[in-house]
Amino acid sequence: MTLEMKKAETAKMIEENRAQAGIFTLLGRTLEYEADEAFLELLRTTLREPLAEAGVELPDDLLHGPSAEVLEHLAVEFTGLFVAPGAISPYASVFETGAMAQEPSSRVNHWYTEAGFEFRRMLSGEFPDHVGTMLGFVAALYSAEADCLERGDDVAAEETKVRRERFLLEEVGGWVPGWCRIAASVAGHPFYERMLDLTGRVLWEELSMIAPPRRLRELSDLNARRPARLESSPEFRKASGL
Amino acid sequence: MNKHFPVSRRGFLKLGGSTAAIAGSLGATRLHAMEQDQGGKDFSPVTGKERQAVPYTCMVCNIEDGGIAYIEDGRIVKLEGNPDHPGNRGKLCAKGNSGFLHVYDPDRIMTPLLRTGKRGESKWKRISYDEATTILASKLREVIDRSIKENDPAIRNEIVFKWGRNRTGGAVHRFMHAMGSNAMVNHTNICESSKKVGLEPSWGPDIESCDWTNTKYALVFGANVLETAYFHNPNAQRLVDGVVGNKAKLVYFDPRMGNTAALADEWFAPYPGTDGAIALAIAQVIMNEKLYDDAFIRTWTNVTPEQLIEHLKPYTPEFAEKESGVPAKDIRRIAREFATTKPATTFSYRGPAKHVYGSYQEAAIHMLNVITGNVEKKGGYCLPRGMNFNQPSPKPPAAKVPSALGAPPQYPLASHAVSTHMPYQIMKGEEKVAVYMTYYDNPVYTYPSSHVWDALLKDEKLIPFYCSFSPYMSETAELADLIIPDTTYLERNDPESMPSDLRPWLGIRQQVIKPLGGTQEWRDTIIQTMHKVDPDGSLGMKQYFAFKNGEEWVRAQFDGIPGLKEDGGYDYLKKHGVWPKYGSVDPVTAKIVDKNGEEVQPEFGLHMKELSAADMDGATIADNGAIKKGGKTIGVRINGKNMAGFGTPSGKIELWKASYVKYGFNPLPVYKRLASRDKKPDELVLTTFKVNVHTQSRTASLKYLAELYHKNPAWINPKTAAARGIKDGDLIRVTSSVGYMVTRAHVTEGIHPDVVAISTACGHSAYGRLAQLKQKEKVAEWALGGDPDIDHNVWWDDKGVHPNSIIKLAVDPIGGSQGWYDTVITVTKAQAGDKYGDVKSSLEVSIKDYEETLRFAYTGDIHKANHKEVQIDWDHLPEPHVGAGH
Repeated sequence: MTLEMKKAETAKMIEENRAQAGIFTLLGRTLEYEADEAFLELLRTTLREPLAEAGVELPDDLLHGPSAEVLEHLAVEFTGLFVAPGAISPYASVFETGAMAQEPSSRVNHWYTEAGFEFRRMLSGEFPDHVGTMLGFVAALYSAEADCLERGDDVAAEETKVRRERFLLEEVGGWVPGWCRIAASVAGHPFYERMLDLTGRVLWEELSMIAPPRRLRELSDLNARRPARLESSPEFRKASGL
Repeated sequence: MNKHFPVSRRGFLKLGGSTAAIAGSLGATRLHAMEQDQGGKDFSPVTGKERQAVPYTCMVCNIEDGGIAYIEDGRIVKLEGNPDHPGNRGKLCAKGNSGFLHVYDPDRIMTPLLRTGKRGESKWKRISYDEATTILASKLREVIDRSIKENDPAIRNEIVFKWGRNRTGGAVHRFMHAMGSNAMVNHTNICESSKKVGLEPSWGPDIESCDWTNTKYALVFGANVLETAYFHNPNAQRLVDGVVGNKAKLVYFDPRMGNTAALADEWFAPYPGTDGAIALAIAQVIMNEKLYDDAFIRTWTNVTPEQLIEHLKPYTPEFAEKESGVPAKDIRRIAREFATTKPATTFSYRGPAKHVYGSYQEAAIHMLNVITGNVEKKGGYCLPRGMNFNQPSPKPPAAKVPSALGAPPQYPLASHAVSTHMPYQIMKGEEKVAVYMTYYDNPVYTYPSSHVWDALLKDEKLIPFYCSFSPYMSETAELADLIIPDTTYLERNDPESMPSDLRPWLGIRQQVIKPLGGTQEWRDTIIQTMHKVDPDGSLGMKQYFAFKNGEEWVRAQFDGIPGLKEDGGYDYLKKHGVWPKYGSVDPVTAKIVDKNGEEVQPEFGLHMKELSAADMDGATIADNGAIKKGGKTIGVRINGKNMAGFGTPSGKIELWKASYVKYGFNPLPVYKRLASRDKKPDELVLTTFKVNVHTQSRTASLKYLAELYHKNPAWINPKTAAARGIKDGDLIRVTSSVGYMVTRAHVTEGIHPDVVAISTACGHSAYGRLAQLKQKEKVAEWALGGDPDIDHNVWWDDKGVHPNSIIKLAVDPIGGSQGWYDTVITVTKAQAGDKYGDVKSSLEVSIKDYEETLRFAYTGDIHKANHKEVQIDWDHLPEPHVGAGH
């Protein structure tokens, strides 16, 4: 490979990494916090067309409604979907253990620390294993990889790539696509429904590229997990249950 | 032969057998069973690393046991009892052990929520604590500014604070008094207030502390000590010490058979609300047969034996049998046994007290200990022992204008208020609310005719602004405008002391971990709010909240406690959780022993402690012997000795209560037949009960406890069920005058034939996915993914049906207690169209019930008719006024 060819390939990788960082930033931002004025403006302008091409038609009320009303509406939907009791909890700990802030949270935080990041909450009740934060971490790793490539540090770029892929396979791949499906099915506003659907698709695409077929099947099974309905046996106790 | 060991197998086994036989004399090994330790240490089963142990005081229920939280990687992984704690002696109940699940419950409210939709519509927007306290402060400031502008301090009482469980050590009062409001509404009249009012005028404190351990005879009325009654865990241990260790006899009265009935030597199931008749008949036998303690009555009470004999004449055992169903011959025998077995004690809790006229019933039971001279004796019926802590200076003065909210003037003797009346007072326009705040309170679920609270809180004209401090989305919190979530009890600071043992103690609640996820404890919220209400200090309020945080506030509450500073002060409490340390728990007897293995005995005869010269300096002695100082009775002079006496105006036990007769109530304990006693033959009496693994409302979402107990079918006697064609497990309709509920029948011999009993703690419409079994109802919406417990081990699909909505409001006109066990019902098989869980109730009927129960108050027309025996000037009873008795 000539130097020119290598340069071109590197440039392409940088571009691709930047693009992936952008996508994951968008997905992470959508799920991590309520939309604000700046984000709404981006959705209405720069992001509108690319999102449509990715299969996310932004709903009319979001595109044309008065900003304050739209943001209020989205904030209520966000709280009901991800924050208030009874919500689809966006935390790995809850998904895996049924309780907040358990070992998955520490584990994910360890990933952040190892990569030179520090988790700082903006509001109470936030933990490192939030879906949005984890996707934001993927974005940050893509971005870091691009930075490494830009400064010609191929070794560091490779290390970052390996870290990203491992993080996706070990911490994200086993539950987030399935979680996105469940969350999308109960979202009350089409914006979140479609963005959750997009998140699931993007992730699965990403996983398909990095996971060997056998591992991919395992991930598919893990993401198909549904709460089992266990019926109580009438033989088990008296009919009154006491 | 073995090549490594030149001996035959037979010989080898012989060696082994011989070694086994003499193993005991071969000396010590370094290996010991782990369970030999008394606690205080714990290790990770994975890494073997010692876990960090942080002491705390439990607050899953109100008993306040001492605990130790074990922390691993910053997470609470286990709770156990604090072995230094004299009350619970290293043991926690099931609720206490499960308490850490509260912390990590995914349905916990982790950030302030601001309502955006209609009340109760569950539409919220999350905001920061800073934004939330700014909103609350502005609402409070509006009221304060209006009060200043109109020069009317009474307007401050439109700031209302209601609590269900308040263990803040005076912080709520500090907060409210600083703002000039007296509108603080507790929950005590749905709990044991008539017990308190049956006791306080007689001997001072509101509860007894029996010396169960050393007693020889325990007579227990309506107090399921082994499962739920006050001081559950400590009292259960002490009762077992007495019954098993000291061979005490236990006689138990309760219409329902619980575990205490099962342990008892004798269990009687009286008709509800007739415990007083039984106690009075026992007293009559003791007095008539001269089995009483003549010297104690004459020396230490304000009545004579002759007066009592005369008063008790109508209460024959035959009369009591007619009322209660307990055979007269048993009443006579028990009376003789109780009076002649020394030492002996009674204990009672909600069973006798939670009726209209429950105060009389409690007073009657209390009297049994007095006439037999068992008061303050080892093994007897003792005063409670607690320790005090302070509110730091400067302290805000009490607010100027008394509030009638939840403390109506028609109930001057109800010193623990009548909180059930709050919604009716507001709905009738008698009281006004501008800002309503709640702390550890869920009346939409826990109160009688609970639908009335729902209607009140949904009415934005009556409750213009409602702020809840609940960390859980309870049936009440979901009606709030703003939720500023408190932390759980394991992430909070509070001072504590409870008379759970005869050896008094002080304890702390401290943050065993930092508040999870940046949440903040209520004290911090209050400090921040008050700094915003009075930012420049010009209102004079900010000075009372000059604390950096909640811990600094609580630390200051322990300043100046005699003896504590010498032992290390607040830091000692942070390290040990409880003070003082009386000794260690003996691994065999589980008693607290000193260095020599001797049990550390409590002090008895507190009333006979002689007053010091310093105490007597400046004191005067009244004609009746009462020693007065600073306008208060500090003791009593008896036979020339100045003694501590009891907490009454005379310093003696006042079985004859002047405060009662002032308002036309009988000064001595009497029995009043209740309306429920005159029910029709096909009617039944509905009672409720608490179960041993749940609080009234806050634990249904904890998975350990939910698995143990999650549904509450109606207990019904086989004869009663058969007469109605009801079989075990059948769907039934339970109908009261307020409404009806559809539940299932639990047919059991363990219930009085005229009674139906339904437990609390079940049938939530809020409080998280397990309490509501949401993961069963809407799988997708409530999915927790791979949680093995929620997904795979929730094998039950019945969350129970809560009975409170159909329970009639009816209160004791003396102590103010809700008559939880006075609701008359009919029970039939479910009707066509009835579904399990249906509950219907009428607001109109409940408002009429309110008006009806006021007729029993001393100002009402039924009062005089029910007290014809009281000889007073009925035309000149005191005028009702707000604040009387409070």
